[in-house]
Amino acid sequence: MKMKTKNITLIALFAALMIPLDSCKKNFLTQTNTFQSTAGATFQKSSDVVALVNSIYDGYQNSDLLKKSIWYYANFQAHDWFNDGGDIAWNNYTISPTFNALYVFWSNAYIDIIRANSALEIIATAKANGVVTPALGDRLLGEAYFLRGMSYYYLAGSFGGVPLELKASSEGLTPRSTQDDVFKQVISDMQKAEQLLLSKTTLPATDLGRATKGAAYGYEGAAQMWLGKYTEALAAFNNPELTANYHLLPNFVDVHEFDHQNNDESLFEIQFDIQGSQSWDGGWQNGGEVAWIDDFSWPHEISGFGYDYGNPGLSYSYQAGDTRKLATIVGPGDALVSPGIIAKWGGIKGYAVVQAGFASGHKENASQAYPSFAGDDGNIINTCGALRQPWYGDDLTRSGYYCAKKWRDPNLTGANGTSAIFGSQNQILLRYAEILLSRAECKIRTGDIPGGLADIKLVRDRAWGGTAPTVMQDGLTYDGKPTAPITDPMQMVLSEYRHELTGEYSLFFNLRRAGKSSSGQSYAQDFIHNNYGTDGSLTPQPYPYGPTADGNLHGVWRTSLPAGRDILPIPQQAIGLNPNLKQNPGY
Amino acid sequence: MMKDVLFNKLNSFKRVFLILLFTAGLCLNSFAQTRQITGKVTSTDDGSSIAGVNVRIKGSTIGTATDVNGVYKISAQNGAVLTFSIIGYVTQEITVGGDNTYNVKLATDAKSLVEVNVVAIGYGTSKRKDLTGSISSVSAATIAKVPVTTLDQALQGRAAGVQVTNNDASPGGNVTVLIRGTGSLASNGNTPLYVVDGYPVSGGINNINPNDIATIDILKDASATAIYGVRAANGVVIVTTKRGKKDGGTQVDVNAYTSFQSRPKEYDLLNAQQFATMALQAVKDDPAQQFTTLANWSNPQSLTNADWQNALYRSGLTQTYNVGIRGGNEKVQSSTSIGYFDQKGIVLGSYFKRLTAGLNLDYQPTKWLKSSSSAKYSYQDSNNPYGTGSLGNLIQLPPTLDGGNNQTSQISDGKGNYGFFNPLYTYVAKYSNPIYSINTNEYKNITNYFLVNSSLEATVYDGLKLKTYAGINYTGYSGSYFQPSDSRLIDQYGAAAGATGNAFYSQHINSTFEWLWDNTLSYDKTFGKHTINFLGGVSEQESTYNAMGGSVIPPNNTIRDLNQGTNLLLDKYGNGQVIRSFASQFARLGYNYDGKYYINGTIRRDGSSQFAPGHQYGNFPSGAVSWRAKEESFLKNVDWLSDLKFRGSWGRVGNQHGIGDFTYQALYSAGSAAATSGNLGYPFGKTGGDNGTYQGGIAAAQPENDNLRWETDEETDIGADMSFLHGDLTFTVDYFNRKSKDFLLNIASSIQGGYATRNLNIGSMDNKGWEFAVNYGHSVNQDFHFDLGLTLSFIKNKLTSLTSGTNFIQNFGGLTLTATTSGDWDSFTRTYIGQPVGEFYGYKAIGIIQKDGDPGVHVSDLNNAAIAKGYSFYYKATTAAGDRIYEDTNHDGHITADDQVSLGSPQPKFFGGFTLGASYKAFDFNAYFYGVYGNKILNYQESNLESFAARGSVSIENVSQQYYKNAWTPTNPSNRYAAIHYNDVNYGDLVPSSVWIENGSFLKLKTLTVGYTLPADLVKKLTLSKIRVYVSSQNLFTITKYTGLDPEIGVQGGNATQNGVDNGTYPGSRFYTVGLNVTF
Repeated sequence: MKMKTKNITLIALFAALMIPLDSCKKNFLTQTNTFQSTAGATFQKSSDVVALVNSIYDGYQNSDLLKKSIWYYANFQAHDWFNDGGDIAWNNYTISPTFNALYVFWSNAYIDIIRANSALEIIATAKANGVVTPALGDRLLGEAYFLRGMSYYYLAGSFGGVPLELKASSEGLTPRSTQDDVFKQVISDMQKAEQLLLSKTTLPATDLGRATKGAAYGYEGAAQMWLGKYTEALAAFNNPELTANYHLLPNFVDVHEFDHQNNDESLFEIQFDIQGSQSWDGGWQNGGEVAWIDDFSWPHEISGFGYDYGNPGLSYSYQAGDTRKLATIVGPGDALVSPGIIAKWGGIKGYAVVQAGFASGHKENASQAYPSFAGDDGNIINTCGALRQPWYGDDLTRSGYYCAKKWRDPNLTGANGTSAIFGSQNQILLRYAEILLSRAECKIRTGDIPGGLADIKLVRDRAWGGTAPTVMQDGLTYDGKPTAPITDPMQMVLSEYRHELTGEYSLFFNLRRAGKSSSGQSYAQDFIHNNYGTDGSLTPQPYPYGPTADGNLHGVWRTSLPAGRDILPIPQQAIGLNPNLKQNPGY
Repeated sequence: MMKDVLFNKLNSFKRVFLILLFTAGLCLNSFAQTRQITGKVTSTDDGSSIAGVNVRIKGSTIGTATDVNGVYKISAQNGAVLTFSIIGYVTQEITVGGDNTYNVKLATDAKSLVEVNVVAIGYGTSKRKDLTGSISSVSAATIAKVPVTTLDQALQGRAAGVQVTNNDASPGGNVTVLIRGTGSLASNGNTPLYVVDGYPVSGGINNINPNDIATIDILKDASATAIYGVRAANGVVIVTTKRGKKDGGTQVDVNAYTSFQSRPKEYDLLNAQQFATMALQAVKDDPAQQFTTLANWSNPQSLTNADWQNALYRSGLTQTYNVGIRGGNEKVQSSTSIGYFDQKGIVLGSYFKRLTAGLNLDYQPTKWLKSSSSAKYSYQDSNNPYGTGSLGNLIQLPPTLDGGNNQTSQISDGKGNYGFFNPLYTYVAKYSNPIYSINTNEYKNITNYFLVNSSLEATVYDGLKLKTYAGINYTGYSGSYFQPSDSRLIDQYGAAAGATGNAFYSQHINSTFEWLWDNTLSYDKTFGKHTINFLGGVSEQESTYNAMGGSVIPPNNTIRDLNQGTNLLLDKYGNGQVIRSFASQFARLGYNYDGKYYINGTIRRDGSSQFAPGHQYGNFPSGAVSWRAKEESFLKNVDWLSDLKFRGSWGRVGNQHGIGDFTYQALYSAGSAAATSGNLGYPFGKTGGDNGTYQGGIAAAQPENDNLRWETDEETDIGADMSFLHGDLTFTVDYFNRKSKDFLLNIASSIQGGYATRNLNIGSMDNKGWEFAVNYGHSVNQDFHFDLGLTLSFIKNKLTSLTSGTNFIQNFGGLTLTATTSGDWDSFTRTYIGQPVGEFYGYKAIGIIQKDGDPGVHVSDLNNAAIAKGYSFYYKATTAAGDRIYEDTNHDGHITADDQVSLGSPQPKFFGGFTLGASYKAFDFNAYFYGVYGNKILNYQESNLESFAARGSVSIENVSQQYYKNAWTPTNPSNRYAAIHYNDVNYGDLVPSSVWIENGSFLKLKTLTVGYTLPADLVKKLTLSKIRVYVSSQNLFTITKYTGLDPEIGVQGGNATQNGVDNGTYPGSRFYTVGLNVTF
């Protein structure tokens, strides 16, 4: 009897326990995410929607994308500049599809494109719900269109046709479109942006750095040129948003000066900023506010880097009196002309590493005849290497010439002294001088030769600080021979692209955009061959002329641009994850 | 004296033997007369007394057990048959004759070393003969044979179908356990579920003291595992710890051993003189003159040799002590144990210390109510500052420090000075002195672990039991790292050497608190020839993870306070709380007819908070049948066949490894702080040289996937269990077909879609295999007993599908191999549909290009052929004599990434273990071999040994003697070793290729043990019941063709797509152990 009561009690108790507990507590399996935000938790405020668009800009704050992809392509491809270190495959056009920076470029561009695609949807909703004002909503939509179009512009310019992803949600398996179709998309995005963006004149100072109508017209015009639509390109370039709001700075050297960022000539530049340390621990990688771009190319003697350097022939090629020369490339015996560097350091002699090295008689390479930091007169050096002993770097593999456009940030010291390596200097992607030169090309292409020459004159006059010589002629050839005056208008444009824009983010894009010349070769191949006497050689050549012509190799290649290598290989990783992508022929 | 003892012993053996013979003869003539029979039960192994032996009169319910001294008393009639049985020994019967004393010697049961008769099946137990599923068991006796750190190591080779690999030999172990192959692509997705005393533990099991383990049952097929539902796909390992016995006695065990571990094998590298000579030559040979040497190297004879391997490796020492006290009576049984394990590793700075304490308590206050409690605690202190991964760098270090520190050129001068590499010389500047770091930095990794559970079981009716079981599992980790400031470089070299290395201090704590509550109802009943058993239950589990941590630059070298430093960085996603919950219902129903025909079905319904609402539940059913043919009348009297059983089963189980929290949600992130990488904001409003204003950014961080679901495995198993020669020979065979699908992966996705990775259910895979287990044990005579055991497993793994648009998946997650050209080594495996997971992938190397005029392939021929097809050159522009030739597998005329092909699988064709055990008088002997056959290893280390150009940055590195002496030169036309180059980017000799793929088959003598049990008389004088001393050696030899240090290399980074990659794992070496087992 006792047993029975016990049993009944137990079974009853147990029956209660057997009822799944979660039925008592209905939400037992529902947990709240306290680490990351869902869409519902975000985009409640207008500033969150602005932040959504800010993140698209952020994708471009990347050294691999800017320097090792776009800048390398724009400059190494033209042989004006070379790499030293791990990326020397660029010097003879044997870039591997596994070159990682290309994948960073590809990735960031598409991440930005999808961010823009989803921003277009979210902003539209936010606008409809009144989370953002219609005016702000329009501006933000314009920025999203602009940034998407710009990403496609650089992708197509570098790789040829790329996949067009135009929706927020994509598996990413779209095959490549043609190069023309991608530029058509750029035009479409830029035309929308032209309507939605603010004009440079109305953009609040606090928003400086955002895309403007003028920038959109600039990229639209460039994209029209890629399609050979020179008349449409001219229309874009002639829009008052461009012609009325942007101006050449009086002094060429100021264009890239640290204290002239976001200047009146600049259409669009990637912004950087000091946030945290300027050294390796400062968060410089993807999206970091500082970038390792500028002192990357300083001489090894100063920075410990020297990962890119100039072709001596570029320096020789400047016409006499052209102020752009020393503001672009400096070599043995050349002092820096940057007003900012001179103000801060008094020139090269002011760097701590120069002073310490001069005091200790430091030789960058033990085999050197003279100390590295003694000038030709034996005093402390104030030039970019001495004539008697150029700065070839610790392993003597560099040309002795370095990029002066990227030697402007007075806060940087390289991997020396206080070790300020990562800089905050903005990177100008498009500026008004390029618009003028492109417009010149359009005019020449459409038969308006005088109009074209007038545009070229605007740019050249500034380069000479007033009035340029009427005869247009390069300085010496790479091997020290005199040149003939340039008479072909198209060659004038190409020469000006080079002398105005080399060491920036445009040169080779513009050369390739020029397409095939009447000779049947591409303008780019001919132009490079004419400048440097390129041939089938694949290894470095001793330099034939000038202070560095000592019969030894100093990292100068003269490889002809092979067919098909005028565009970059589609990154192998991208193909690996999207088998629908086809590699460019020739890779 | 000794002689006398042996003599007496022999006499007593003889006596017993004669008595047995006599009684056997008498049994027919016996007559009924009840009287007191007594005697002592001892082991044939060593003569020690055995406590707790069940002594029963056959055919009655009368029985007793031996006491702590092995003595029994029982009333029996003449002619009665007494059975003596205890787990681990062969059951013996004697027939009572004229004597009143019957001493019995029991032989150890060979089978019981691998198979015990009661098997844990999850929420209950079953007799082995009644099993319908495939379950392997490993007993305490087996585990005791091998000195192991963690219990997973003890499973190696012991159970068919279970592949255990010591991924590296670091203290504390890094072991992979694969039960029936690779069934998931997810990181750590192939880990079995461990259930300790009924509690499914989520972490590893290296917190459990192997000495506490009574049995390990490995549930392999889906019908056996399905009761664990969504956690069951990789098999279930049920660990049962030792409990006290009811016999009224007390047993005290003391086990201790000391193990010396020899220094590991080393690579034969260049010394300073050879290295400098090589560098000088390479400079000379470099057509592009891309680098220079350090001035000090110009006179190689003057250099001080820096032998990094010699400095880093040392001999190891392991000590362990365990004390267990077990005993009890009918009402209360308890088992207490304390263990201490201390291993000093063979790599400088590495160690593992573990203190464990356990208490198992069983209490049965009344006939119908029983409680069972178990508490386990462990404290672990471990450190491995330069382990797997880092060790890959060791062989790269240039063997000279000359021209660096002007205080010393030695690695360490013993006066507190450590050599360093010249910071201004680019080609060695990236390297640092690991000995300095290990000796100077401070590391702490402490884990406290509790596993506590209690159950209350009521038998409310005959066969009907209700049970409630609750437990908690707590893991608390606390770790810190301190690195003092280092100004040595700038003190000597000034500003050019960079900045002073700041001091750094980081501290992290985290804890996981988990509770579990199960309620089950079971009913077991036999009605005539019908037996049914039923189990039903509900279970809930919730775990809360808390973490905090950060790092600072501390104000000085003493302060260890995050609050007093500068640059405070809190751990991203490491400062907060995550809760996971889990709810389940399950049932099992079994029926058998007459012990011949069995049918069994289980179902489990699991719900998890890790999936989207509406997609949280999954159902996991299974069914099995078995037929004990031996019980059929036509086999019952077949003498040579002791047992024969056939089994067949099917089940569906799940896998939830690889899924994180909230991976189904669309998430937006504001990124990291402005000053850090990965921020999403951007500055605006900058004019001139001023700073702008940073504005934060928000971007999508993860795309939504509401449809994320469990990985599912469906498995069919057909097996047979056989036993011959009165049980001396047993044989088990199983065939299984395991189909896994919907792998939960955070997988690299085409970046065109905007996300580098996505959480997806992708693909399917097959594992088909055969498992064999054979055991033979035989007592030749009273003195000599031996047993042999063999397990063999053949598993064929194959990927059967992937997501649309792709037909392969490349290695992802975890392991990164650096290359001379960035990107070259990103992909080193590719798993194609139809091929096994993790196949190596690269170029097919077919020799070395020879100099014009020499026999062989010439670069001009290769290039001309390429040019004829419209390409500029065959491979690289600079390819020349001395470079590797790769096969143009797609015959397009030149070498590109498209010429890469599959180069072999890291998965073995078969693997197995072989045990040989024997005892002769007081000596016992055990040898245990483990081997795998038919797998390939990617010897990435070898590619480093043949690389003068450093991986990952502008530097040079050391190479092997083998390479240095055999490398191609114009006068040494090697067809295997490429020329020595700086900057492989121009040559491509070091890309993933068949050169680095090697045969990974091996046979290892894992353990060899010889033990001696002291004579019983002597032991008695010490008032002990048993003393055994033994010597043992582990890893005595390995037979292999693999040229690296150790072919035992498993899954790296827990990811099946990076299996068998030798990237410099913590090396193994020989252990020499001296041990002592004492029983009071």
